[in-house]
Amino acid sequence: MGAEENDLARLLSRTALRDRGAFERLYRLTCAHLLGVAFRISRNTDRAEEVLQDAYMNIWHNATSYNPSVAQPMTWLINIVRNKAIDALRSGKTEAGLTQALDDEALQVAGDAQLEPPQWLDASLTQARIDSCMNSLSPQQRQALALAYYRGLAHPDIAQALSVPLGTAKAWVRRGLDKFKGCLQAAGVHGA
Amino acid sequence: MNYLLPERLDRLAREYALGTLTGPARRRFERVLQQSAAARVAVGVWQERLALLEAGAPAVQPRPAVWQGLVRRIDAGAAAPGLAGGWWAGLRGLWSGRPLGGALAGVVLCVAVLRLQPGLLGLEPHADSLPPSYVGLLTDANGLPAVLASSYRQGRKLTVKLLRPVDVPAGRVAQLWALPQDGGAPFPVAVVPATGSAVLALSDTSEKLFSKVSRLAVSFEAAPAKPGDRPGADFVLSGHCVKLW
Repeated sequence: MGAEENDLARLLSRTALRDRGAFERLYRLTCAHLLGVAFRISRNTDRAEEVLQDAYMNIWHNATSYNPSVAQPMTWLINIVRNKAIDALRSGKTEAGLTQALDDEALQVAGDAQLEPPQWLDASLTQARIDSCMNSLSPQQRQALALAYYRGLAHPDIAQALSVPLGTAKAWVRRGLDKFKGCLQAAGVHGA
Repeated sequence: MNYLLPERLDRLAREYALGTLTGPARRRFERVLQQSAAARVAVGVWQERLALLEAGAPAVQPRPAVWQGLVRRIDAGAAAPGLAGGWWAGLRGLWSGRPLGGALAGVVLCVAVLRLQPGLLGLEPHADSLPPSYVGLLTDANGLPAVLASSYRQGRKLTVKLLRPVDVPAGRVAQLWALPQDGGAPFPVAVVPATGSAVLALSDTSEKLFSKVSRLAVSFEAAPAKPGDRPGADFVLSGHCVKLW
């Protein structure tokens, strides 16, 4: 665990003790990253901020359940936000979601929806130094994996977005994940 | 369906972590996660892998209203009677105003933490299980909780959970000691990790080791203590050891 992750772990342990100062520090250190996670799935600032606030309430009330032997602090935080964003996306029950008009932001997001995820995937893999390995994936596999992770899309949504049969979309995601795992193991990163 | 077959578990864990496990299947697997440490670890491994995909994705700064709304919601929760925050806030007053002194506060805190988060010590409820018999809460020099320890009465294992990282000096180990209530010499129990949690082997059953122990303490030692050794340094953490049943 790096120094930054150690700091987050310490702040989480303080948050578990209802230390508001530690909670605010945790928020300041992580909110921009976590709003990015929520925004990529929600694709709307109001909905993403609604998800983010719900997620931090969850963190405030459940910081004691963080287990450092299972996850890095940031990974734990990311997945609280991802799960909330995906639940909100699929339930379609957020108030903002029901009233959102097709404003400029929504139109812009719609236009970029399928272009940006593969770019984020490539940038992340470059930082993880496994981009050369991942280049052996087909463009379709990369795009399917990126849509699943960054947009929170389920298999039927991916199939529709890429205009392919459901079985094909499932196979692209599965093979993409297999290759991703293999590349990490080959690079000695999270190779369990 | 046996969800814990290795290949099936890995498939479900990766689909859950990615988010492509949907509907009733996702809800069923979440119930498995509540009951199975192996399932939680499998999901954790995939979440760690996938977290790498965040490295190249852009951050977005939230508007100030998000934090302001959070503060309002927390205040509203703290003010509402009967909520967990109420008695938590009361306990917080105990340790922010002065160091935890009495056994009562320690016992209340231990029981409260364990009731709220049984998974904290790997004590997920099972139909045929009993709560831990011996529980200890060690606090630091400022009275802040640092280590939770628990063991079953006839168990030969001690589960410890670090509530905050312990800054163990290089070349030293964090040695846990048991202090008998009759004022007898402390005896070594085990070495605790600096962070996280661990299940430590005991030399005998908890009942035999701890039935006459009133306190636990940690000192930084040059090497793990052997039976008959005595503390070679001041205690940096200490707290009451209580028998719950």
